Amino acid sequence: MEKEATYDARYSIVTYDLTKKYGDLCAVNQVNLSVGTEIFGILGPNGSGKTTTVLMLTTLLEPTEGTAEVCGYNIHTEPRKVRESISYVPQDMAVDVRLTGRENVHMFAELYGVQNPAERSDEVLRILELSDRADEYAKVYSGGMRRRLELAQALVHNPKVLFLDEPTVGLDVAARKKIWEHIKKLRNAGMTIFVTTHYMDEADKYCDRVAIIDHGTIKAIDTPENLKKIISQDVISVSVTGPCTGVDLPGVRFAFFEDESIVFYADSGDEALPQIKDALSANGVTVTAMSLRKPSLDDVFLHLVGTEEDKGPFNLSTFRNMTRRRG
Amino acid sequence: MNPILVYCRRDLIRWFRGKWGFISAMVMPAAWLLFVGLALPISFTDNYIDFVTPGILVMTILSASLAGGGLLILDRMLGFFNKFLALPPPRESILFGKILVISIRGIIQSTIILCFAFLLGAKLYTPSQLAGTYLILFIFGALLASAAASIAIYLDDHDQYAAANAMITMPLFFSSSAMMPYEQMPSWLIPVAHINPLSFAIDGIRIFQTGEIPLTQIGFLSILCVFIIGVAVHVFRKVQV
Repeated sequence: MEKEATYDARYSIVTYDLTKKYGDLCAVNQVNLSVGTEIFGILGPNGSGKTTTVLMLTTLLEPTEGTAEVCGYNIHTEPRKVRESISYVPQDMAVDVRLTGRENVHMFAELYGVQNPAERSDEVLRILELSDRADEYAKVYSGGMRRRLELAQALVHNPKVLFLDEPTVGLDVAARKKIWEHIKKLRNAGMTIFVTTHYMDEADKYCDRVAIIDHGTIKAIDTPENLKKIISQDVISVSVTGPCTGVDLPGVRFAFFEDESIVFYADSGDEALPQIKDALSANGVTVTAMSLRKPSLDDVFLHLVGTEEDKGPFNLSTFRNMTRRRG
Repeated sequence: MNPILVYCRRDLIRWFRGKWGFISAMVMPAAWLLFVGLALPISFTDNYIDFVTPGILVMTILSASLAGGGLLILDRMLGFFNKFLALPPPRESILFGKILVISIRGIIQSTIILCFAFLLGAKLYTPSQLAGTYLILFIFGALLASAAASIAIYLDDHDQYAAANAMITMPLFFSSSAMMPYEQMPSWLIPVAHINPLSFAIDGIRIFQTGEIPLTQIGFLSILCVFIIGVAVHVFRKVQV
């Protein structure tokens, strides 16, 4: 396949000031990303622009400004080439329940124009451990199996880039683990995986790099390890009864309130614990429990994005089908 | 395999395996044939079922097409649409697949209804009458399938579509020449019936039975069909994901 002269083979996805506006609302604001052969996670609260970004990269949505290249093809001028090189699994879990697993995959093989659709379908069904149930209707498949069936559909033409929108949402722990193990195998085989999620623990554990996005703006891009270093301190959570007051101690900084607890960042957690307890007691606050931990991706996320809750009206159809018209 | 055919086959398989959609689509026109064709006290002809069969055939196409438009809405609601849009084939093949499958469904259903009409005593069609009837049913089917697809894409909501569907079917059917000849109509209905696209299809089938070729009707339906397909493509291209 011919590539443009400017194409940097190290990166399968490159975006240039990618922007999407809906009227006054800027859903995605000047996003610049370079994604190579890795599991790249895009993390953000609901409505932060994750899905909009994916929709633009998969050529389903035209950007308002800026552009992007996927596998060296411009999403604006060569959308069909882009679609030939990628696969996209939306969040909705749309498999045809009245078709068998094999028929579901075979249909996609034909739509992708795969040379030997039957053999190739068998192969991906085997890879995703669905061979023994392949001739049953997808109606009887569990959520995890349906998601694996969607992965099989997506893999049937050997894409270079795989876009996954919330691949593990609604699945139980075992099914999630299995999905991520498959994703890791694909990465090891040289595929680029671009995944949106709001499960911090999964992003922490499985993503090679993570971008944190809020209100359409990228707040940080790095490995989970490096992101956690943004909060170079220990996290101390104090459960109290009575009025909450701050403390004035060197090396201790108030972070945020969480339920009935006060969260502090401390340079040296071990030493700060008794000091905080004493300071709070002196202020007349009763401490009921204290805990000390290393920062998690959750903390980084809250640090960068804040604790503001999604204030948009809850909409059932949006919830069912978050891939559509999401800001 | 052409992607249009792949999409079409998918919907056909789902339809056959769905059973009840299929059964219900058959029972309604069959009931019409039975209760209207055989039971209505009609004086202008002594074999009313011969007269009403073209009308019921066209009604079968009408209800099959409008029911078929719902397929597009469900595909969008359930997220299939986005998956299909991200595939390499030209996106219009999704639309043409739907128009094709809706037309095929209408043809299959009207074939069964035609057999039922013959069973109930309608005069058998000659091969050339049959060919003419199918020609008109196919053009009319593609026309209505495109119209249903356009409405479905435009409304993009299952309840709204069902409401629009119910609103369209009855007036369109009763203001056509399906139930009675123009001579028997009240004078205010005659001009309405003459511009109703259903009448063109029904009259066309009736003219074929007299041994003539209804060029006006075929011409009008073909032009309208091409125009509505154009509308459907236009509406489809403007779909926001």
